[in-house]
Amino acid sequence: MLEKNYNINNIKHEVLYEVAKLALNDKLSDADKLPYEMLEGPRPNFRCCVYKEREIISQRIRLAQGKTPVPNKGNKNIVQVISSACEGCPIMRYVVTDNCQKCMSKKCQQSCKFGAISMTKDRAYIDPSLCKECGACASACPYNAIADLMRPCKRSCPVDAISMDENNIVVIDSGKCINCGACIKDCPFGAISDRSFLVDVIKLIKTKTPVYAMVAPAIEGQFGKDITIGVLKDAIKKLGFTDMFEVAIGADIVAASEAEELFEAKSKGNKMTTSCCPAFVNMIKKHYPTVYDCMSTTVSPMTATARLIKAMSPESIVVFIGPCIAKKGEVLDSVTQDSADYALTFEELKVLFEASEIEFDINAEEVQQASIYAKKFGSAGGVTAAVVRALEEKGHDASEYKVRQCNGAAECKKALLILKSGKLPEDLIEGMACEGGCVNGPGSVSVGPMINRNRNELLSKADTRGIYESLESYSEYEFSSHRK
Amino acid sequence: MTITICIGSSCHLKGSREVIQILERLVSLNEINDKIEMNGSFCMGECTKGVSVKIDDQIFSLVPSTTEKFFNEEVLPRLA
Repeated sequence: MLEKNYNINNIKHEVLYEVAKLALNDKLSDADKLPYEMLEGPRPNFRCCVYKEREIISQRIRLAQGKTPVPNKGNKNIVQVISSACEGCPIMRYVVTDNCQKCMSKKCQQSCKFGAISMTKDRAYIDPSLCKECGACASACPYNAIADLMRPCKRSCPVDAISMDENNIVVIDSGKCINCGACIKDCPFGAISDRSFLVDVIKLIKTKTPVYAMVAPAIEGQFGKDITIGVLKDAIKKLGFTDMFEVAIGADIVAASEAEELFEAKSKGNKMTTSCCPAFVNMIKKHYPTVYDCMSTTVSPMTATARLIKAMSPESIVVFIGPCIAKKGEVLDSVTQDSADYALTFEELKVLFEASEIEFDINAEEVQQASIYAKKFGSAGGVTAAVVRALEEKGHDASEYKVRQCNGAAECKKALLILKSGKLPEDLIEGMACEGGCVNGPGSVSVGPMINRNRNELLSKADTRGIYESLESYSEYEFSSHRK
Repeated sequence: MTITICIGSSCHLKGSREVIQILERLVSLNEINDKIEMNGSFCMGECTKGVSVKIDDQIFSLVPSTTEKFFNEEVLPRLA
């Protein structure tokens, strides 16, 4: 039952939980009853009427099963609009507020190149039919009286993929969308969400096929300060997975491979970018295709770890679990790369633990499968730090290599623009679309100072094995660390 | 040309990974790697029919043993 004080996160979580329970009990055919069970009515809890609420829940149930919110077979995007939940926020972007003093300088009027501003009885007025949303008036006003009411979804999108249809309902241009998930986090009405592989994974772990889980480095801290990799491995096996590996193993592989590439690129005078953040990769492919050749040809840590698992157990199914929504798109785009077969978020993993009623056993055996440098891949700056460390381990003078760490999509865009113009002073760009790195990803259970404290405490317990030392443990398995 | 292969759990169990591997091999044998792009998709909702594969807006139902026939009859002619 959903209650009045529920917010977007609770609602998303509850829907995923109920769908997971149905899938676990082979009762998915009952999914159409869920909106009525979750919202008994007749009074609404958080929207205008219970019918709208139930429609929103129905669309979310479809997403939880990997479908589009409304039947639309052509739309392949991971990030989807829940049209019934979109409020069609006020479309007038610049609005004159009560702070307007109707001053004599009329700087707003003078700054407007389109003649859109006139004076009314008590304040300035912007004619929506003439306003081009340039923002000159807002910066010109000495009283800060002109508010920028850009829709939160549109403001959050780093690649201008969001527009409105004739009913002011948000539309995502899948040709531009990089699946970063920023709009999912920023829509105050929860009208944008991601499709899920949760039901597919539940169905597969119930078969006899071996299904392996691999967890992104950002997981440490997500479930509390006592939930170590060993505890997670134990709990994930109780869910029915054959075993669990750290994607940090793949991060060690990537750090070593990118260090080699960087050495070669620098000796030829070429620049290089990382390739592990799928939203950053999409940004290059869709918006800066001319610099695609600069991108490292090393696969992502997800693909590297999947290849290792498939080298160990060729028939297995591999499920990536991370804080990332764009990884779901990477899975779809890399079906020919021997990569992960499915991707779940930490949020979806939490749902799976709850729906399967798995408790953590904090006495589980401790494990560490990768170096601390790889475990820090999930924080901004972590990838380049590991690449530099790998160069040092190989005896190179790392101080010769200049790196540019781009923390968030805006910094990525700036760096790619400079790279495109040929004026980049650094040798290597680290691109991370989420500010702070994967640890702040949109698929996290939670983010913030508390999670960071937990994470630091867990990471402080890791031993100091080097990157190449860590790789030796897996040297018997042969596979390429580059894209096919 | 893009070939989209359903990777939903049902298609996976019916052999979608094998279909992908066969298509990859045929693409490379015919040296058309630069003309064909392959990607996956969430469940296409045709779970009862076999491995669902889509070209443009048309959905085909394959099993690994019919993949070569599909490639010769549906993929190659579209490139001509």
